[in-house]
Amino acid sequence: MQTLTKRSILGMLITGIAILLFISISGCFTSKEVAAKSGAQLWAENCSRCHNTPSPDAFSAEQWKTVGMHMQTRAQLTDAERDKIVAFLSNK
Amino acid sequence: MKSLKTIIAIAAGGVLLFNTTSTYAQQTTAADSALLDRVSALEQQVADTKPGEDHLMIAGLTTIGLVTGKSTNTVGGISTVSRTSTFGDADTYEFSPMFLWRHSDKFLMEFEPSFNNDGLSVNWADVSYFATPGLILRAGYMVIPFGIYNKRLAAGWIDKLATDPIGLDVPNSTDYGFEAMGGLPLGDMKWSYDVGVFNGMQLLPDGELQGTGITDNNINKTFSGRVGLLPFSNSSLEIGFSALSGKVGDEGSVYANAKANMYAFDLSTVQKISPFSVNIKAQYNIMNVDRENYVNPNDSTQNYTYNNHSTSAFGVISLRPSYLDSPLKNFEVAFRWADYITPANSAWGSNTSQVTEGLAYWISWRTVVKLTHETQNGNSTVNQFIAPTTGNTKTDYWFIQFSIQL
Repeated sequence: MQTLTKRSILGMLITGIAILLFISISGCFTSKEVAAKSGAQLWAENCSRCHNTPSPDAFSAEQWKTVGMHMQTRAQLTDAERDKIVAFLSNK
Repeated sequence: MKSLKTIIAIAAGGVLLFNTTSTYAQQTTAADSALLDRVSALEQQVADTKPGEDHLMIAGLTTIGLVTGKSTNTVGGISTVSRTSTFGDADTYEFSPMFLWRHSDKFLMEFEPSFNNDGLSVNWADVSYFATPGLILRAGYMVIPFGIYNKRLAAGWIDKLATDPIGLDVPNSTDYGFEAMGGLPLGDMKWSYDVGVFNGMQLLPDGELQGTGITDNNINKTFSGRVGLLPFSNSSLEIGFSALSGKVGDEGSVYANAKANMYAFDLSTVQKISPFSVNIKAQYNIMNVDRENYVNPNDSTQNYTYNNHSTSAFGVISLRPSYLDSPLKNFEVAFRWADYITPANSAWGSNTSQVTEGLAYWISWRTVVKLTHETQNGNSTVNQFIAPTTGNTKTDYWFIQFSIQL
C-alpha cells in the first residue's frame, strides 16, 4: 500500500513536471501567422475582448507605455502583443 | 570679339559664384550636422531623465446615476413593500481615480482609492515587476485571480449594464498577497496563467464567509489561480478555469482547520455578425466550505450543521451595430441572467435569480450612458428551526447611470 502511494505521488510529480515542461516549451512557440500580425490588428482583436477599442488620441506616447503595462496585468497579453499595440497607439 | 569677351566674363563670374556658393553650402552643412548631433545628444539626455509626469498618470473612473424602484417581501402571505429612489447607491456612484506610476520598463505601481456610498476605500495598491517575457510578479493589495468579472469587466465604463451580477462577492474580490502571471503564445493559440497566495477569507460562526479586509484571521494562506486558453488566433474566444483553496477559520478557534475550496469556469467571446458586434461573457462559481457545527446566530448556545455549498452564475450577451455607418452604432443592448444559491438549511440560505436588461449609449469609447432595468427574485431556504424564514423577496429597479474613464 505504501509502495502504491509512493508510486502514485511519483507518477503525479512526473506528470506535473511533464505538463509544465510541455507548457514552457510550447509557450515559446509562435506561429508565423500570429507573429506577422500588426499592432493595429492586435489592438482590434485584444482590446475588444473586454472593452471598446481605445482611440490613439486618448493618451500620449509615454502614457501608452504605462497603459500597456497596466493592461498586460489585466488581460495577460503576451509581451509581443503589448509592444506592438503600444507602438501602434503611439505612432498616431 | 567683344561678345566673346563678354561670354568669358560671364562664365568666369559664374564659376566664381558657384565656387563661393558651394563653399558656403559645405560650411552650412557642417554646421547643421554639428547642430543635429547636439540636438540628438540633448534628446537622448532628455529621454534618459524624463520628467515625472511622463511616468505618472491618472486614469480610473467616475460613475454617477440614479436608482429607483421597489422591493416586495412576502412572509406567510403578508407582503411588505419598500421603495427606493436615490443617487448614492452602490451601483450608481463611484469616484475612483487610479494612479499609475511607471518606475521603469520593469516596475509599475498601481493605486486606486475610491469614494462611494460606503465612504473612502482602496480598490487596489500594488507593485508589478515585469521579470521576463511571460512572467509578471505582483505584490500588495490586489484583485485576486478568480474568474473574469472582478478583474476585467466590473468597471463602470466597461460594463454595459449598471449593476454587477449577484453572487460575485464570494470569494472576496481583493486581498493582500503575491501573484505571478503572464500571457504566452502557443502556436496559433495563446494561454495565460495567474496564480497567487493571499491572506484569505474569514469563516464566521454561522458558516458565512467574509473578506478579511485589513485583519488576517489566521496564519494560513489561501491559494488562488486562473488558467486561460484562447484557442483561436484572432483571440475571439477565451475559456478559463479558476481554483481557490485555503483554511478560513479563526486561529485557535474550533473552526481552525475549516477549509474553503472554490472553483470557477468562465467564457468570453466577441464575434462579428454583421452589422453587429456580439459580446458574450459567462462565469460559474462553486463554493464549498467544510461541514462544521456552526453557531445559531439567533441563539449562540445552539449549534447546527448543514452542507456549506454555494453556487453563483451569470451570463451576459450584448449586441452593438458597430459596423453600421450611422449614429445607431453608438447604441448597445445587453441582457444578463444571474443566479445565486446559498446553502439550504443554513441561517442564510436562499435561491436568488436576477434578470437584467439595458440600453447603453456610447458617447465615446470610454464614456457611456446606461438605462438598466433589473428584477430579482429571492426565496428563503433557511432552516426554520434555527432562524425565521425571510420569505420571498422580489425587487424591481431602474437605473440611469453615466460612467467615464478618467
